[in-house]
Amino acid sequence: MLGCSQRALRDDIERRLQGRAELTVRESGGGAVLTGPWLVSVSVVLPQEHSWVCNGLIDSYRHLGQLHVGALKEFGVAARALPPQELPRTHEASAVSTVNWACFGGLSPWELVNAEGRKLVGLAQRRCRTGVLLVAGTLVGPVDWALLCDAMGHRQHEPLLRHGTVSAQEMAGCPIEPERLAALLTQRLERELLTTRT
Amino acid sequence: MTGITLSPDAWKDIDPATEALLDKWLVAEGDTVRAGQTLANVVLVKANQDIVAPDDGRVEKILVPAGETFAQGKPIAVLKELT
Repeated sequence: MLGCSQRALRDDIERRLQGRAELTVRESGGGAVLTGPWLVSVSVVLPQEHSWVCNGLIDSYRHLGQLHVGALKEFGVAARALPPQELPRTHEASAVSTVNWACFGGLSPWELVNAEGRKLVGLAQRRCRTGVLLVAGTLVGPVDWALLCDAMGHRQHEPLLRHGTVSAQEMAGCPIEPERLAALLTQRLERELLTTRT
Repeated sequence: MTGITLSPDAWKDIDPATEALLDKWLVAEGDTVRAGQTLANVVLVKANQDIVAPDDGRVEKILVPAGETFAQGKPIAVLKELT
């Protein structure tokens, strides 16, 4: 799945994929991501005046990031959402180089990382006059980074993405069923959004 | 003439060195547009958002082509208001 600004790459990627995966382009920004059973995605649409999204686009990521921190904690995953002021420091401290074309190749405000700064949850959004779409993706299990890098024409980046990311399963030290995480996130979203309408 | 910009609200809490990407133009130079009409999509900190026409008018000049980035406050196009 490509970010909206990557749509021009579509034909080249289709050619390299040779049918190994379906290719789609999402409405929100950010880089490419490989979806599958290893990724639990969340999409939330809110009115512009909702308290989660009415304080600017950076703050709009905060609530969804923190909700993920709480949900993952129940699975024994001790991740944290990165406040914007910590981003430069994290980049410097991390051994991970930024891979601009990949969602999980860089860090943005309120995305989730482990203690070493390896990325666990990516965030993006789409803002328009009728509302705000927030999206999140959690790496639950191992990802075929080689396939993604090959499709994007950047095979050399596979080690960077592998070392720069971490899955919930790896952090918990045991298997995590994507369906269980999805169910818990749904439950928490319902609870939060019903109590914070505006 | 009015310079069309991404609203200051959209740049709230964003590092001044950060630039937005002009993702897609939905109008062309010479097009007549209505106030509130979406003119372009831009991406800033992984957020895709619309830039809308502030008034009725004609798109006189596009200053930032699709695929290029722009800084806070920089006009991306010039709108000539209809009188």
